Amino acid sequence: MRVGIPRGLLYHYYYPFWKTLFEELKAEVVVSGPTTKEVVNKGIEFSVPEICVPMKVFTGHVEQLVKDVDYVFIPRMVSIANKEYFCPKFMGLPDMIKYTVPGALHKILSPKIESDSDNISNPKFYREMKDILKISSWDLNRALKKAEKAWKRVRALSKNGYVLTDALDVFEGKKNLSQEPVFKNGEITIGLMGYVYDLYDPFISMDIIDKLKELNVNILTFEMLDERQIYDSIKFMRKKLFWTFSNKLLGAGYHFYHNPRVDGIIQVTAFGCGPDSMIGKIMELESGRFAKPFMTVRIDEHTGESHLQTRVEAFVDMIRRKKMVSGGVHHEGNLSLYGINTGL
Amino acid sequence: MKVTFPYMGSTLVYRKLLEMLGHEPVSPPKPSQKTIDLGVKHSPEFACFPMKVIMGSYLEALEMGAEVILTSGGHGPCRAGFYGEMHKRILNNLGYHVDVWVFDSIKRDYATFMHHVKKLKGDNSWLKLWRILKLLYQVAKDMDQFEMQLQTKRAYEVKKGDCTRIWENIQQIYDGVNSEKDLDEARQRCQALIDGIAIVEVPEEQRIRIGIVGEIYVVMESAVNMKMEETLGGLGCEVRRGHYLSHWIENNMIPKPFSKSHEEEILKKGEKYIEIQIGGHAKETMGHIVDYYDQGFDGIIHLMPFGCLPELVSQSIMPKLMEDLGIPVLTIALDEQTGIANNLTRIEAFLDLIRNKKRNRRWKVS
Repeated sequence: MRVGIPRGLLYHYYYPFWKTLFEELKAEVVVSGPTTKEVVNKGIEFSVPEICVPMKVFTGHVEQLVKDVDYVFIPRMVSIANKEYFCPKFMGLPDMIKYTVPGALHKILSPKIESDSDNISNPKFYREMKDILKISSWDLNRALKKAEKAWKRVRALSKNGYVLTDALDVFEGKKNLSQEPVFKNGEITIGLMGYVYDLYDPFISMDIIDKLKELNVNILTFEMLDERQIYDSIKFMRKKLFWTFSNKLLGAGYHFYHNPRVDGIIQVTAFGCGPDSMIGKIMELESGRFAKPFMTVRIDEHTGESHLQTRVEAFVDMIRRKKMVSGGVHHEGNLSLYGINTGL
Repeated sequence: MKVTFPYMGSTLVYRKLLEMLGHEPVSPPKPSQKTIDLGVKHSPEFACFPMKVIMGSYLEALEMGAEVILTSGGHGPCRAGFYGEMHKRILNNLGYHVDVWVFDSIKRDYATFMHHVKKLKGDNSWLKLWRILKLLYQVAKDMDQFEMQLQTKRAYEVKKGDCTRIWENIQQIYDGVNSEKDLDEARQRCQALIDGIAIVEVPEEQRIRIGIVGEIYVVMESAVNMKMEETLGGLGCEVRRGHYLSHWIENNMIPKPFSKSHEEEILKKGEKYIEIQIGGHAKETMGHIVDYYDQGFDGIIHLMPFGCLPELVSQSIMPKLMEDLGIPVLTIALDEQTGIANNLTRIEAFLDLIRNKKRNRRWKVS
């Protein structure tokens, strides 16, 4: 039995869980390759033009997998927090893929996840998989326990400051745990607001994480923060957003505003992302109050990188200068102190 | 207190509700280019179109002196449920200190809901509130029923524009309804008006019926959907909408055990294509199309705001549904680009296609 896991959307968050689960169930796990131009083009071919780019990329990955496997694993993510949901596109994702990608109609494995926390290991969600995969409840429970453990280990790495790409490498044994998180000794710290599937897909985000690393910047993302920190910072909102990951982002955003260590915030969002249109506006309205720079970078299926490079560099330079004036950071070779004085 | 509300379809019912409860309603003007421009200027760029138009309506109403905004909330996962909060933040940031009464689901936040109801009720007795609601529900039901008659007749009217004119008339008549007794009189007068419209007789096999489905705001508000109903009527089509105000009231305000909701049935019909409720009206959209197909409609126009999250899912599944049922569906995404020539061409081509299909089928039979 071969089960395919598309390398898109929540893969970046739940991969350790899913991989362990299926391996424990004695299935062969096939993950689609990294996102390439071809994958994106296939995705564009099979999805409606207006939909956001992570969805298109995901469709492309499914197309790549569907011929070679018995089942493609696309859980129907309904909720992972009480009274909160996923974006409607996630909730309708199995339906959408089923009817758009050729050959996918009968190959989709989509347990319905309606959890009240990030932990998705409750066996009742996976009941329908038992018949399809011909497994006993006992096997399923045992596999879920193991999966939960593996996933929690990776979450712990994230909270220690590892970016997810590194954390997943450690999980797969490609990297050693002894290495320090990369982002520790940078001169300035930037809070990065973006969904895991935008930030950690190097094709979609055009490697913004590496670009920041090269500029000697520490980054902080929502999955490095503690759940408490995130929820405490949006406690004041009478009505929170409906989408769990968006609440996490907004909570992280407010945390970045309050945290004196964070010097600026960059929001990475996909063209046409509905939830982000709300978060972006809220952050923009608050930016003045906290006197912290906030920038939105919008991405889509176009692949020109120079604009991103320029904007990120300019943003970092601006923060550096701001800090330098207040005496925080030593100046870099190509930045003249006089330049700032004359500018003022 | 001067109270305003979003402009969606005929605002008569909301206006009357506020009036009868002793508030001073400030009805925003029908959305115009100015409304849209204002809304677009102050809304997030990727917010959906209804949010931008409603933003514009609020700004216009605030200029007219409104002090309170009355709106419905939601519990997700569609963005529309968060509009109230978002509008409030943006308006506050612009320097308007306006009160926003958002009516969320009673189950989600009982205390706030009752708090708002009490403010709305004012000094009136609960009995009076109940009577008013009952009367207005009847008004909404009557008006919807008359509107449906007009949607059928408009296709065949002898003098173009008769039906639209009479619709204005009906709204005026119902504006004067204040008691059950007035209601009967109004009903008779309106029916007489409608019966008086001269129409061309068209044989059954040449009649074309089109259903308009999709997101509720763009389906109901003619100012933002390029007067879709009138356009289709003018081109000789009978029209039905997926959303009517009275249906919305039945589904959202009358407790489940008492309502024989048409909506439940619709949802069941959509189940094959979208298994669960994914917010907004995506599942209803699929259900309505199947329902219209069962009723023998000839085509469907599917309206959605650009970037609408739930409707994007239904749009994705649309090709499969068309293949299954063999009913043509035209999806139109609406946004602040208001040029109509492009969409008008698409609609005309769509109708030509339907007419040809119908004619060919007839010839084959005979």
